[in-house]
Amino acid sequence: MERLIEILEDIQPDVDYKNCTDLIDGHFLNSLDIISLIAELEDEYDITIPAIEIIPDNFNSAERIMKMIERLQEED
Amino acid sequence: MDLSFLLAGTGKTMTSFFSMTYLFAFLPVCLIVYAVTPKKAKKYVLLAESLLFFWLVSGALVLYLILSAVSVFCFGLWLDKLQQKQKTALKGLPKEEKKAAKQKHLRKQRAVLALGVLIHIGMLLVLKYSEFFLGNINSILSAFNCPFRMYIPKFIMPVGISFFTLQAVSYITDVYHGLIAADRNFPRILLFMSFFPQIVEGPICRYGQTAEQLWNVGQIKYRSLTFGLQRILFGMMKKIVVADRLDPLVKKVFDEPNSFDGGVIILAAVCYTVQLYMDFSGSMDAVLGTAEIFGVKLPENFQRPFFSRSVSEFWKRWHITLGAWFKDYIFYPVTSSKRMKNLTSSARKKLGNHYGPLAAGGIALFCVWWCNGLWHGAGWNFIFFGMYHFVLILSGNLIEPLVKPINNKLHIKTDSAGYKVFQIIRTTILVIIGELFFRANGIASGMQLFGRIFSDLTFRSFDGGLLYRLGVDRYDLIIAAVTVVIVFIISILNEKCISIREALEKKSLVFRWCILYVLILYIVVFGAYSFGYIPVDPMYAQF
Repeated sequence: MERLIEILEDIQPDVDYKNCTDLIDGHFLNSLDIISLIAELEDEYDITIPAIEIIPDNFNSAERIMKMIERLQEED
Repeated sequence: MDLSFLLAGTGKTMTSFFSMTYLFAFLPVCLIVYAVTPKKAKKYVLLAESLLFFWLVSGALVLYLILSAVSVFCFGLWLDKLQQKQKTALKGLPKEEKKAAKQKHLRKQRAVLALGVLIHIGMLLVLKYSEFFLGNINSILSAFNCPFRMYIPKFIMPVGISFFTLQAVSYITDVYHGLIAADRNFPRILLFMSFFPQIVEGPICRYGQTAEQLWNVGQIKYRSLTFGLQRILFGMMKKIVVADRLDPLVKKVFDEPNSFDGGVIILAAVCYTVQLYMDFSGSMDAVLGTAEIFGVKLPENFQRPFFSRSVSEFWKRWHITLGAWFKDYIFYPVTSSKRMKNLTSSARKKLGNHYGPLAAGGIALFCVWWCNGLWHGAGWNFIFFGMYHFVLILSGNLIEPLVKPINNKLHIKTDSAGYKVFQIIRTTILVIIGELFFRANGIASGMQLFGRIFSDLTFRSFDGGLLYRLGVDRYDLIIAAVTVVIVFIISILNEKCISIREALEKKSLVFRWCILYVLILYIVVFGAYSFGYIPVDPMYAQF
């Protein structure tokens, strides 16, 4: 989780990623941040994030992002 | 006996949800038949009514819709079969072999997906765009003095093809991604594709949003009936009292771009933007209201777009389901492709967090707006309209990092009401310019109209007799303006999450009926359907 938060802070600082649960709905991350985040996550965790996974529910909190990563790692 | 109508359908008499035939014959009969049918058979009645509606509008072309649904159904099952095969094949394989085997299976599934998408989009391209593309090829051949010319076939397009094709593509793609299970019930797929209120102008629904709802329809409830009818009435007011009333003025100015001065062109561009919004959102009120009567909740297509503070926000509030479709099936697939991801990673290192992802984002945005323009119509002015928005949104992103320091330096409070109003007005002006090109009869005509706003910005045409020349009178403009104010006030309340219908529900029966009678009378008295007005087809039905 710590590495994920580091990646998020590198893309968009000034957000409390440990507690924020509306990263997308609250407009803390925009579509450009998501484009960067996906590229970083795929490199870091050796996963493929298909376009269909790019929904607010998967990106609204660090915890949700982590869950998606773990699920995709399992599926791979 | 002439039976040609069986093939041709009734055409335009039914496409408008506010036509007498639809509102006072088709819809009531449908509702009565639906209401008296036993619960178990209601879904089949809804399906039969949907196919009947399509046949009444498009005649024998109903076969195209049915074939589309058959194709969607088969591609879903095909993908499902491949996915099951993959599951069985990967079971028990060691992890290192699993990945390679999975890729092999995915390749096959991707090929099926590509074929499915190609067939549906290909048919849309052939039926809707072949005249445009071949016409352009002929122009190029002629420019090079080549004697050869391409034959341009004329096709009849099934109504709503641009809408239900996108639904078909979304279904196949969602099955491919495992987001939904392939449906083994053909009538359910057919109903998802053909549900009559949404077939002409959308909204563009996803299988996961509506298929189950439509298949599980039940008794019509009093609350949904009243709520649905109220929404249809509200939509009718927007369409008949405002949109249709402004039509002669808009038509006159856009058909004669050289006849009027800049002031009149500005008036016509504003009126057209109002007309388009009232027409399309009014029709959506009728669509969603009708669905509500059947107990079906369709996705909203509008969320008060003229309260947007940027062009990008405007497109999240205007024709929402089309924007969401482009985002999910074009924008993100393009940005998350391997090449784009590599581009993002390398560009981020060189250009930083903001401009880095903008390279891939810009390419995806270009694809989205090219398709968006073309989706609206086979014409260069539509492509120009798309590119205009692409440039606006991309420039917004490009200058974004510069805006904050400038605002800070100038001590501008970006959260103040004044600044918000400034942003809303700026966005509205940019939207109106875009709509001017959208409505113009070609790019040249659009340029002419836009140029005259600056080269001939006088208001001399307003002296005597102008309104008569524009085919309207003073009362038309006053009635339209008053109705726009009513819609604006209701929009403000909706923006504050106040539902008029829910508030009305809490009032006494007498009060409720008084309000409804006032609304009905308002439409009857001020609606543009009397002598001298030509019924106007729903504008988005042409797309």
